[in-house]
Amino acid sequence: MNLEEKLRVLKEQREGAHMPHVYYGDPTEEFSLKLIECMVENGADLIEFGIPFSDPTADGPTFQEACERALKKEMTPPKCIQGIKRLRRNGVKVPIIVTTYYNIPYVVGIKKFLDEIKKAGAQALIVPNLPIEEAKELLYEGKKNGVHIILQITPITTEKRLKTISDVASGFLYVINVEGVTGARENMTNSTLKLVNRVKKHTDLTILTGFGISKRKHAEAVVSAGADGVIVGSAYAKIYEKNLITPEETLPEITRLVKQIKRGCIEGYKHRLL
Amino acid sequence: MKKGRFGRFGGQYVNEMLMPALIELEEAFDKFYPTQTFQGKLEGLLRDYGGRPTPLYHAENFSKLIGCKVYLKREDLLCGGSHKLNNALGQALLAKKMGKTRIITETAAGQHGLATVMAGNICGLETEIFIGVKDIKRQASNVNKIKLLGGKVTPVKSGGGVLKDAVSDTLREWTTCSQTTYYLMGSTVGPHPFPEIVATFQSIIGIEIKEQILEKEGKHPNAILACGSGGSNAIGAFRPFISDEEIRLYFVEGGGESLGANNSAAAFQLGKPGILHGALMQVLQDEYGQIKPSKTRAAGLNYPGRGPEISYLCETGRVKACYALDEDVFKAVQIMGRTEGLIPALETAHVIAYVLNHRSEFDKDETIVINYSGRGGKDLKTIMRNCYES
Ligand SMILES: Cc1ncc(COP(=O)(O)O)c(C=O)c1O
Repeated sequence: MNLEEKLRVLKEQREGAHMPHVYYGDPTEEFSLKLIECMVENGADLIEFGIPFSDPTADGPTFQEACERALKKEMTPPKCIQGIKRLRRNGVKVPIIVTTYYNIPYVVGIKKFLDEIKKAGAQALIVPNLPIEEAKELLYEGKKNGVHIILQITPITTEKRLKTISDVASGFLYVINVEGVTGARENMTNSTLKLVNRVKKHTDLTILTGFGISKRKHAEAVVSAGADGVIVGSAYAKIYEKNLITPEETLPEITRLVKQIKRGCIEGYKHRLL
Repeated sequence: MKKGRFGRFGGQYVNEMLMPALIELEEAFDKFYPTQTFQGKLEGLLRDYGGRPTPLYHAENFSKLIGCKVYLKREDLLCGGSHKLNNALGQALLAKKMGKTRIITETAAGQHGLATVMAGNICGLETEIFIGVKDIKRQASNVNKIKLLGGKVTPVKSGGGVLKDAVSDTLREWTTCSQTTYYLMGSTVGPHPFPEIVATFQSIIGIEIKEQILEKEGKHPNAILACGSGGSNAIGAFRPFISDEEIRLYFVEGGGESLGANNSAAAFQLGKPGILHGALMQVLQDEYGQIKPSKTRAAGLNYPGRGPEISYLCETGRVKACYALDEDVFKAVQIMGRTEGLIPALETAHVIAYVLNHRSEFDKDETIVINYSGRGGKDLKTIMRNCYES
């Protein structure tokens, strides 16, 4: 399904969106495919599909290790793109948002990379180490190719930048609600409320929040604070990394968390403050 | 050229979280650096604390061996034992002016970490130094000095436990605290404005070379040579001479054991342009854009990327990209010791090795300047093991 259409339907149903983030190939391709399919069956509305990079500087230890493990198993960007195709063939219909660091598309050529992920079945791309100052070419090619380029907003993004970013953003805005890198955290501060409020003054775009969300109550808190959904990554990796030999055995536990987070997204919408 | 770019190289490839800090840094540098107060303070510290100007020494015995007139720019005599203090003092003063309370940085050879703690102490700023676990072992004496001076040492276990990983972790740390904490970048690498700031502070080397060589020789040198990875000592020495195309410039990187697969740090020989740690630069990587680990016995040259400015200068051919292999580097240490009674840092020994191996590139009536970036005390154990136990 089309990304904007999906987000619109979720809003109509008064549900927060749930986007799990997975680094593909950790610890194996077969597991990643099963993991994503299991997530989609149990309450993932979109999938953030990470192409592992050797130096993921916006990621905390959990995802650093995920990248390292996947690369040790010789995961490559072409294999990842094949993976997206396989998901589509297996009947996964939710929007797929690719995430990777800029060197990966840079070396093959921005246009070619966008073309390939689009053909494979992805709808959008997140490049965490590409601020708006450097995003010109990617935004241009994204628009031409019909791939949404997802931009990020942080608690310390100034009003001026917020405006510039919201003006060119498409798909949704990725609002990072903590100062730092990815990784599961214990508490969600109510600074999210302030930040979401600030962002909403500039745009009607969907707001998905991420970084540090690991529990149902986090999802509930940020969705009630006005976010349109949550991005959850390290919390899932933390479950299967406990059993890297037979990670399939952790799928029931992952299923429970997927359901809980989705529950939080739905409950949060009921108590919306905005 | 576009701001923050050297040709196509450079830029600001960082996450949105760091952009406000980079903008603040650029504004602060433009505001404070040109002022007389700042310049006066920095000059005074470099002179009275650092020991600048460092001498330009005519190494007569070594010259005889090479067959031309060789001068050594003695950055090893700068307090702390390397050129790193030039940059550390400048940036620590800037951090203080900006009202930051804490400095973080990465180090590999330990020279930059040490210089940062020295500068931090002078400015009354807390310091935390990230260093790979592998480098903690091989540069133990500098790590001890850092600790003795009160710097916090944070071992980096991720990746290969070397410089690349330490830079990544320092960037991650900065993401959590950029409003109160200053990242004191150790070389001419990273996102704009770091390469420009570091180059500016290191340019004192070249400015002095120019004055000193005119005084001693009455003319410019025919060639200037420097070792490097990020390129700070090289750019510092080259900058005032870049526009004078007559002067040959040589940059010597770490060849490692051999130029074979995964045994080298020679990014100009084995890499291509790519994006790492906030900048587009020449970098070791595989066909898919995954950054490759570098390898050399010199911890301070063990980085897969070359800074944007040196990447540009080598791409255009203004600077000749050279390398030296580990084996020749250890020989060069011994030769420098025997001829001039000086023990160079393993990093510095790369440029010495290059000159020794390429004597024919220098005519007998030529005058060349080697930027002698640091002394070898920190490497004594490694040197002894390699020179006398094999
Ligand atoms: C003595 C010495 N020379 C050279 C270098 C290389 O750094 P750069 O390329 O920034 O000069 C180092 C780095 O640690 C060093 O300690």
